[in-house]
Amino acid sequence: MSLAECRSAGALEVKFVPDEDVLRHIADDAGVKVQKGKSQLIVNTKRFVKKLEAISDDEAQEILEEKNYVAVLGLCGEGTWGTGTYHRCYFGRFFLSQRLESESEYSASCSEEEEVEEAQKEVSTVLSHQKTPAKTKAVSTPPSRKTLTKKKDNMNNLVEEYFEAHSSSKVLTSDRTLQKLRRKRLNQQTLHDLLQKSPLAYAAEIKELNQQYESLFSKWMLQLHLGFNIVLYGLGSKHDLLEKFRTSMLQDSVHLVVNGYFPSITVKSVLNSITEEVLDHIGTFRSPLDQLEFIMKRFKEDSSLELYVLIHNLDSQMLRGERSQQILAQLSSLPSIYLIASIDHINAPLMWDQAKQSLYNWLWYETTTFSPYVEETSYENSLLVQQSGSLALSSLTHVLHSLTPNARGIFRLLAQYQLENKDNASYPGLSFQDFYQQCREAFLVNSDLTLRAQLTEFRDHKLIRTKRGADGVEYLLIPVDDSTLTDFLEKEDEDV
Amino acid sequence: MSTRSLSKGCFVFKPSPKRRKVSRTTADYFREGNSDLEDSELRFATCQSLQKQVKSETEQIEEELNEQLFDNLVSFLRRSHSAFQEKTTEWTWRTKSREIPTAALVLGVNVTDHDFTFRSLSEVLQNNVTPYIALLEAKDCPGIKNLMQKLLGQLMNCCIDVGSSEEEDYEQVSHTRVRCSMTSLINWYESATKRTDSETPGKKRTSSRHWQSPPVVVIFKDMESFTTKVLQDFVVISSQHIGEFPLVLIFGIATSPMIIHSLLPHSVSSLLCIELFQSLSCKDHLSTIIDKVLLTTQFPLKLSEKVLQVLINIFLYHDFSVQNFIKGFQLCIVEHFHSNPLSILCCQLEEAKRRVNSLSHNQCENVRRLPSFRRYVESQVSEKQIALLTADSSLKEAVRKLLEDLNVYHENYFPILRCLHVFTSSLPKYPLGKQIRELHCACLENRVWETEEYESSLQLARMLNKSDLVTMLQKCVEILVSSPGREFDEIVERLKEFLTQFQKLEETYQERDESVSPQKELQKKTNLYNLQKTLLELKESRRSKKLTKFEMLRFEVVDYIDSLVRRYLVPADHKTLHEIVYFNTASVLREHLNAAPRIALHTALNNPYSYLKSEALKSDGGSISNKAPDICIAYKLHLECGRLINLVDWLEAFSTVVTAAEGPTADVASSDQVDDVIHARFIRAVSELELLGFIKPSKQKTDHVARLTWGGC
Repeated sequence: MSLAECRSAGALEVKFVPDEDVLRHIADDAGVKVQKGKSQLIVNTKRFVKKLEAISDDEAQEILEEKNYVAVLGLCGEGTWGTGTYHRCYFGRFFLSQRLESESEYSASCSEEEEVEEAQKEVSTVLSHQKTPAKTKAVSTPPSRKTLTKKKDNMNNLVEEYFEAHSSSKVLTSDRTLQKLRRKRLNQQTLHDLLQKSPLAYAAEIKELNQQYESLFSKWMLQLHLGFNIVLYGLGSKHDLLEKFRTSMLQDSVHLVVNGYFPSITVKSVLNSITEEVLDHIGTFRSPLDQLEFIMKRFKEDSSLELYVLIHNLDSQMLRGERSQQILAQLSSLPSIYLIASIDHINAPLMWDQAKQSLYNWLWYETTTFSPYVEETSYENSLLVQQSGSLALSSLTHVLHSLTPNARGIFRLLAQYQLENKDNASYPGLSFQDFYQQCREAFLVNSDLTLRAQLTEFRDHKLIRTKRGADGVEYLLIPVDDSTLTDFLEKEDEDV
Repeated sequence: MSTRSLSKGCFVFKPSPKRRKVSRTTADYFREGNSDLEDSELRFATCQSLQKQVKSETEQIEEELNEQLFDNLVSFLRRSHSAFQEKTTEWTWRTKSREIPTAALVLGVNVTDHDFTFRSLSEVLQNNVTPYIALLEAKDCPGIKNLMQKLLGQLMNCCIDVGSSEEEDYEQVSHTRVRCSMTSLINWYESATKRTDSETPGKKRTSSRHWQSPPVVVIFKDMESFTTKVLQDFVVISSQHIGEFPLVLIFGIATSPMIIHSLLPHSVSSLLCIELFQSLSCKDHLSTIIDKVLLTTQFPLKLSEKVLQVLINIFLYHDFSVQNFIKGFQLCIVEHFHSNPLSILCCQLEEAKRRVNSLSHNQCENVRRLPSFRRYVESQVSEKQIALLTADSSLKEAVRKLLEDLNVYHENYFPILRCLHVFTSSLPKYPLGKQIRELHCACLENRVWETEEYESSLQLARMLNKSDLVTMLQKCVEILVSSPGREFDEIVERLKEFLTQFQKLEETYQERDESVSPQKELQKKTNLYNLQKTLLELKESRRSKKLTKFEMLRFEVVDYIDSLVRRYLVPADHKTLHEIVYFNTASVLREHLNAAPRIALHTALNNPYSYLKSEALKSDGGSISNKAPDICIAYKLHLECGRLINLVDWLEAFSTVVTAAEGPTADVASSDQVDDVIHARFIRAVSELELLGFIKPSKQKTDHVARLTWGGC
């Protein structure tokens, strides 16, 4: 598409080129969208009506502004109104339902200029006749419907386009899925091995970049000591760089490393490790704020205390919350706590308002390393990696080993049934009654109640999920993907 | 110990106690970062002392600026407080008693600076008015209960400061155990005041500092962020008890005083007796700081035009925070001393001269390398050139002289700049800027007299009326007289001469006035034809008429000012050795203070060559460069997609691009079966993009991800 342009333009100019193309691409499909966006249009119109009402409640001085507004609408939509008869029909219908009086004025045949003028007139008259709210509502709709259709064709209003593009639920992508690729999903281990095998591209250049950044270490230390905190940004993992900083500069001082990307990290755990391990305090706190206060007090009292804090991924899912950031910012504002952190997310700076930024007192350093985010993504549930894989299998076998043979049999029945139906895309699960019947036949349960008790146990271990169908019947499902289930059954067979 | 773990996210490392003793100081880090080791200690010391100077100076300025405001506040407290003390007029007191005296303190949008203001305010109050001050912040008070807890906690703690140590056991009662209610607050207040009253004979200090039965001052630092309910409840509850103890509220307001009325309904706000206080706007504050810190010869370090522009832009377009401006200036100081080995000479003139003597050969070479010094050498005669370039002693001699010149230049520069500002700031439309900082930047940038703006401002100055001109000249005289420059006597003399000439003109005018009036009389009685004629004649005469005396004088004055500007306001980078005292790497400052992480990310993804200097990446054709790092390829492919991206298609496109890179050796047979390694690389690229926030998993369609950016980044 526009990649050539995209490429040739500098980093700054690139911005809008590809997206406008994308926009056009989407806007080409306007016909579909109008259909889909019907409900949204109505909502918008109503909102506009509300706005007008609010205005009519106000003083008459607003009228002028409103006139201008309408005039502007007329201008911006010049000559583009009416992408097809379809809109008119649609709006005509919509209008009929909305309009209370004076229908004939707005037949679909009237020309645009007239309409604009009339709309203008109408608005002013409406505003001067504030006592008839019903009429206001009915008549003040034309400008709004106009804007909506006209703006569709005008490429200049990007914001409008954005919301339009996002309002439609229609997506134009192919329906191919990874399942059809005849390829097993890779699991974490094989992925890791495969990546180990493939050589890192541009290793020499990346090393050069890293060396460049490493020469800054002593400068960082100086600036940390002068009361600034340091934040690293740029593409590429900064884990190794920070680790190197730690091993080369911080060996002789107390320091705390926080892996922000760790999925269950909390501010509480950060504070805990400071109070428990750095300050050797035994005892608990009622809230993180209390704990923070305690830490601040201790650090202020004892000027010999110094602490370096390294945070990998300050913008991680767990730490990006407002409260966490507030606490970390306050912590970093202590003169004897030196914070050096890295951020990766494109919107990471949005975490900080003015107050937090001034607490953090950042000095920004760009450290684009191009190194792969090995650590940072290792915990992530990646989209393409077979996730539940080995973990789910082992947990399945573990849980089931602790159960009675009968219970295991029940689960096997359910699993087998589910596998038999694995090609049925609309398989709702096994209904409770059918399941009971099967279990009885296999001599696994003798009453409805025993089965229910067993199922409760499964549910507690998250082995099964129940779902009520449209007919009110309870359906049972094992929330594990088919391959794992097959593996499980094979393993069971071996054991038996 | 490794920091990789599946069960832990925080790791504390403690060095063994033996090793901890050899911790390095800041100065060591300063030295380490420098290639040339000599003088770095001295440089660091100079840097530190300069930083300290700047800090104390700015703090003092701020204190002075706030003084007026604080005085007003204290007198307000006194006034509201007297009502409490004089309970004699019982009846009027009762009717008024429901109203809590409240000071609304409008501080402006630069919220980050407020902290400092509040701190000094509470200090002032603590010293002069009352020990009972509570500073409340919205984030600590989500509910009325927390607010009361915080309030009581702070009040009782501050009581410890005043109370003697013997009574500490009483104070030690944790406020958490006391039921936090208004009654307990009142009880506490009564006991506290009683105690101090009984103490007063023994302890005169407290009684002299504070008033009798000191008021309880509660400061809401950020009034806008408090929840309405909490504020309302607090006001209503405390108004019930206002008769029993003297409570005064202070609201810190960032927006406008109207916010009180939009936050509090009338029934509540009627319980407050609000008086408005306005602090100095941050803009004026900045002007004062610039005026007193940057536009003086007091501090040896100067900022170049670009650096100053960066700092001012950050202020104007980002935060309005004076503190941040000062922080930026501090960073400039550190950067300058850290990066420039010759910054050792950036100190007061006498000291610098002394230091010149002890310059090492290396440093002399550094001096010779300065572009401005080279220019200077080139302008000398050849023997002098050789001496300067080969003999250190003659170089030192020259440097001493040049430093002195530079100093004189600065001494003259600032007063003349101020004089010029007096003129330009009163011209219509301010062609050279309203603020002196704009003028300063213009003068630093290039020869100001060559600019169009200067030309037009001179034109406008030639049209000034007399009274304005006279007042301006008087102001200039004042500025020049008060400045320490040595060459100004002559200029002052000249300006005074102008002033007397104006004075004389006035006298002559008065005489001439009478002669003009009959002429006007005549004009009134003519017919149309005659009028036309006379008007034409008048026009003719005006064209050919010689300038009046006043006009002549005005031209003279303006020309004189112009000559002063040309003489003294030479841009600093035309001066030899300006590199020593001017910090001019604006890019460093912008990078560190006003970074653009999104642009950096985008550049790295879009044009990896700008970071990875590899020839393979340089060739940028029309298609996606297949040699780029995986993540760049995946990113560019994703740019072509709409809101949702099909992973399979994406993977296919990716593998097509990547296999093209590996050449035709890739077998065609497995074209639909993507190579495992490529698959793995694709997975990595996608999960990295997810980490960076470009995509997220979507449930709208199977195996699709949603694109999160729109409009590039």
